[in-house]
Formats: sequence, structure tokens, C-alpha cells
Amino acid sequence: MSNEIKYIALNKDQIRIMESQNCSAENWADVTVAENFNAANVVNSTFLGKVQIGSVDGKVPGAHGLAKPCGIYNSAISNCTIGNGTRIANIGVHLANYNIGNNVAIGNIGTMHTNPGATFGNGVEIDVVNEAGGREVMIFDELNVQMAYIMCLHRYRPEVVKNLKSMVSDYTESKRSDRGTVGDGSIIYSVSDIIDINIGSYATISGAASLYNGTILSEQDAPSLIGSEVIARNFIVGESSQITSGAILAHTFVGQGVQIGKQYSAENCLFFANCEAFHGEGCSAFCGPYSVTHHKSTLLIAAMFSFYNAGSGSNQSNHMYKLGPVHEGKVLRGTKTGSFSYMMWPCRVGPFSVVLGKHTGTFDTSDYPFSHLDARHDGKCAMVPGLHLTTVGTVRDGAKWPTRDRRKGSVKRDIISFDVFSPYTVGKMIKASSNLKTLMQETDKSIDEVSVGGAIVKRLILRTGQKFYRSGIHMYLLEKVIDKVEAAIDNGIALKDALKNSDNAVFSDEWVDIGGQMMPQQRLTDLHSAIEKGSAKTVNCFAGLTQKIADSYYDDEWVWAKNAYKTVFDVDLDTVTKSDIAEIAKTYLAVKSKFLKLVVIDAEKEFAELSHCGFGQDGSPEDAPKDLEGVRGTYEGNKFVKDMKADIAALQTRIEGFEQKLAKV
Amino acid sequence: MSDVADRIRKVTVETLKVDPGRITDDSRFVEDLGAESIQSVELVAAFEEEFDIEMDEEAALGVKTFGTAVEFISAMLSA
Repeated sequence: MSNEIKYIALNKDQIRIMESQNCSAENWADVTVAENFNAANVVNSTFLGKVQIGSVDGKVPGAHGLAKPCGIYNSAISNCTIGNGTRIANIGVHLANYNIGNNVAIGNIGTMHTNPGATFGNGVEIDVVNEAGGREVMIFDELNVQMAYIMCLHRYRPEVVKNLKSMVSDYTESKRSDRGTVGDGSIIYSVSDIIDINIGSYATISGAASLYNGTILSEQDAPSLIGSEVIARNFIVGESSQITSGAILAHTFVGQGVQIGKQYSAENCLFFANCEAFHGEGCSAFCGPYSVTHHKSTLLIAAMFSFYNAGSGSNQSNHMYKLGPVHEGKVLRGTKTGSFSYMMWPCRVGPFSVVLGKHTGTFDTSDYPFSHLDARHDGKCAMVPGLHLTTVGTVRDGAKWPTRDRRKGSVKRDIISFDVFSPYTVGKMIKASSNLKTLMQETDKSIDEVSVGGAIVKRLILRTGQKFYRSGIHMYLLEKVIDKVEAAIDNGIALKDALKNSDNAVFSDEWVDIGGQMMPQQRLTDLHSAIEKGSAKTVNCFAGLTQKIADSYYDDEWVWAKNAYKTVFDVDLDTVTKSDIAEIAKTYLAVKSKFLKLVVIDAEKEFAELSHCGFGQDGSPEDAPKDLEGVRGTYEGNKFVKDMKADIAALQTRIEGFEQKLAKV
Repeated sequence: MSDVADRIRKVTVETLKVDPGRITDDSRFVEDLGAESIQSVELVAAFEEEFDIEMDEEAALGVKTFGTAVEFISAMLSA
């Protein structure tokens, strides 16, 4: 670190050598250097104010990995501290007010300076979700999605929001400085302007157009990249993230492991862990973890998303030329919008739903997860509840997200619950199933369709939706019991204690998804209270509290599952016997096997005759399946299908093993 | 033609909006009668209501033709 270097005054020889190499200083006495400073490596440069320079021997990796000699060449430097083994070359205007680490390469820069009292993007307010304002999120470099979510969406708890903003203000003050920093090992080249930017260690900034008022977090194991033609103003970029190829960020927070590029433009947006945004446009979009938009003419506006996949041309609108852009959308986790789908806010889309077509009516299907939402010709939403419970896409997504966490390094700020089936989704399924049953009972058979939260459901489908949900509910609850008992047996815990609740557990019938972290409603209430009462006063305290909630997830989940089991099966798990558990295992095997088989059958459709359409170009009809096979392989050979079949076999083996273990208890 | 077959035909015509003359025992619901994914779901739901039965999802997905639907539902009704 440069602050560990002892800087001493230049000697006459060093000054003479530098002057002979066309260097000058406002006052050579204000230029101090490391003890082993080699003046030969400082050429054609001007020093203004107090400048400290480390050792400049050796080479340092620079642009495209090419190592070049350390030193200072063709630059004007004002009030900077420079570490050891660093190269600064070809600064067009000046480099001013920076602390620069060791082994840094900076070259071909227009202007790089810090203004007095800079906050480096910390404390910037972003008008997210509601474009007209009122849900501002104050960003800072340690912001996590949970804090942003509460600050943005819980405006019904004004004291909470006020105190969160106060925490961020305090944090921002702690970051206020007249000096920017560049961390060790960073490479910065061919950038026009870098103004008020803090740059972490091992970052690469290559060919960016203009960076103003921001922080680029980076560390050796989680380096960040800012690429060519990027323009970013009033921003934060987290570790392991890449902003490349002409992306434009204005008033935008980018969390960890995010990739934004290919001319994507974002204004007043938040992108949390592992988001991907290319080609399109974001405007006041709250993109929770794993929100993905890859296509041109896709606009994400005035809404909250997470685990979201935007088809090409996905679009929404937030006002109809009345009081301005005041409407909002809530697209709950795991949802996909099909090509050229459109939603006119306000709408609320239930978790893991698929949205197709042009929806010009308001609907709220938040309690109907895994649903198919297709727009009718009149713009109304036609819903098939629970249709996507056993579709390949849902299962694939659930499996891939945890394996695609790009966040590396020492800290993962956003807390993410990956489970597709959880008290949050299963609770919604129980509620949905009950609602559908009531509607079915109360609707005369002469009625073709009913309205559910503004969406239209065909009366006939009311029963089908219950059937879909029932399989998901049963599978989840039975699985939780088997998991619990199996773990107890493996850990030598007596069967009578296996299904007990943890003393630490908190029960709420309702669970919430706070920007990707699922928790009982009571945990959220307690978190609100802690913030309101001032027992959480700092951003670190807040992060600690959310982490504690995450640590209790499985205890909380179990107490919920046990309660739901009683509701659904009318069985008190505190009274079950060994033979009851053996029966539960058998039922679980049947239910889960059936679920997996339905997914496999859904995958088979990808290879069915209708899927041959588009294959076998210029050949005979018999060539179509051969062409399909040549491109996609066979159904039997498909990796997903094989994995699913292996899962079915493994499940059978697991339950057989479980039954044997149970018998010995 | 059995009563069950007539009722299945009627439900199929109403749900898929197809010409009854096009329906034969070998007619495939998806490829020949145009039952897209959602319509297949609706068709099963309509059969369930018509016959007051609950078709197992996995087994129902194995019913590909009009003829096998008649066999499947007839078997359920006589079970």
C-alpha cells in the first residue's frame, strides 16, 4: 500500500536527471519519493502541488497484458500519492488529487481528477420503480438488495425509510474525500475523463468514454471491468462486474457479478447480483438478483423484477398521459416475459409465471405462482394457474441459478434464497388452491370464465389449477419431513426429536421475498422495528441483521412446513410414529417421481413432431427429424432428460435407503 | 359409436373448435386437431367435468389420440 511507503525529499541528482528529461515542478520540495526512487524513469512530466512517488523500477502489466516499464511519462500530476511499481503515461490534461496504489498502470487518459468533497457516487438518490419519484433509493458502495428493497418499497413505514437514509448519509460522509483512490494492481487506459471516481484493486478500465462520480469496487479475486465506450455518471459498480461495449449508466447502481453491455442504457436503475443487461433500455427498473434482459427493443420500466428473464421486445408502460408516469409493476421472482409481451402498469405478476402477449388491463396474480398469463385479443389477462409448475424451464432455472453465481471475492452483499419451493411459493399455492376451490364451488356451470385478481380464468381450469398446485404442495411438504428425519437419523438424533422446532425459529403464516431473500413476515416486522427504534444504526448493523435472518432460514422454514403439513394433511407431525414416517416416505416417492416424470414429459415435447417444423430445410419430410437430431441430439441423449431420469432413479434409491435406515432406528 | 365416444367428440369439438367430421379414432389431438399446450389442459379439464372424473396428469399426457381418449375414459368409468 502506498501509505506504507516512506517518502523522502528528492536529492539534487534526482532533480537534475528529471529536469534533463524535460520534467518540471511547481516546487521540487513538494515532490517526495521512495528511498529507492529511480529518477531516470520520470520523463517529460510536470508536478503541481504535493506529489509523492514510489519506486519506479521494473515493469507493470498494462493494456492487453503487455508489461511496460514503471515510471511517469508525458504527464501532468497534481497532488497525488503514487505507490511502488506503478506506471503513469500520456495523461493529456492532468491527473490530480488521487491516491494510487502499487503496481498500477495508467495510460492514455484525458483528465483524471477528484473534486473537493467528492463522494464517489455514494449518497446519489435514484428514482427507481416510480419514475415520478417518491421511492428514491440512496445508493452507496455497500448497498445490498435488501436495504434497497425496503428503502424503495416500504414507504408505509416512513420512520424505517428515514433511518435507512440516515445510515446511508452517515456512510456517505465517511466516504467524502478530496482524494480519489486507485487500488493496487489496477489497469486504466484510453479513457477520456475520470472525474470523482474511486477505483478498487485489480480493476481494469479500458477505453471507457467518460466516468463521473462513481465507485468501481474490485478486488484481486473479484476484479471488475469497465470496457470500451462506456459512459457512466453517478453510479456504483460492484466487484466481479463487467460494464462493457458502449453501455450507458446514469444514476444507476450495479451490484456484484453483474454484466451490462452492448449499448445497454440504464437510467435510475438498480441491478443486483448476477443481473445481465444487453442491448435494451432500463428506466427506473429495480432489477433484483438474476434479472436478465438480452435483446434489443426490450424496455424495463418502473417495476421491480428478480430472477427475471425478458424476452425480446418485452415492454411496459407506466402512464397513460394523465398524471404522469406514476404507475408501477411488481414482477415477482422467476417470471419470464415472452417476445413482444407488454404490460400496462399497474400490475403484479405472481412468482415463476410466464407472460405472453399485450396486456392492456390491470391484474394482480401475485398469489398464483407458476401461472401462464396470456393476453387475449381484448387485452385482458387469461390465466392458467399453476401451469408452469412442472415445465422444463422452471426446473432448469431453479437448478441453474445457484451454479451461476458470478460473485467472487470476500463479500457477497445480496442475500439470496434460491429455493423454488419454499414457504413463500408453497404458501401462495395453498392460498391459491383454496381460492380456486371456493370459486369453483360458487360458480355455476353455465359460467364460462371468472375473474381472479383482474385476470380471467376459465371455469373449467379452476379445478385443474388446484390439481397443479396440490402436487407442488404435497411434494414440498413431504420432502421437508423426509429431509428432516433423514438428517436426524444420520446425526444420531432420536426420532421423537427429529421433527421438533428449533427454539430460534420464528413462525409466520405469510412469508415475504425481500429482494431475493425469503423470510417470515414476522422477521421483516422485527427488522423494521430494529431500524425504527435505532437498534440498527449503521449499514453494517443492517447487513448483520439480514444475515442473521438468513442464518435462521431453515429453522423458520421447518416451523412453517410443520404447520402447513397440519393444515394440508390434518396430521400433527409431533404425534407421528415410525410407521407413519415410513408411509410418508412412500407417498413422497410417488409424488416426487410423478413430478419429475411430468417434467420429463414436458421436455419430450421439444422433440415431438410439431418441433420438427423448421428443420430439414430443402429435404424430404423424413429429413426433418434427422436434422433435428443433428442439431439438438435425441430425446434420450439430451443431458437434461438424462439428468431428470437419473434424479428419478436416485430418488428411488434414496427412499429405499431411507426406509432401511428408518427400520433400524 | 358409444355414448362415451360421442360425449368425448362433443367436448373435443367445443374445446378445440374443430369440425366433428375431421375426428377419427386415429386423430391426434396435438398434431391433427391443433390442441396447443393450453388447449390440451382445457381439453382434459373438459373431459373431467363431462365425466366427473379426475384424470391423472401423467396418464392423461399419454393420451395422444381420440381413440385412446375413448379407451382411457371408458376404462376409468368402468373401474
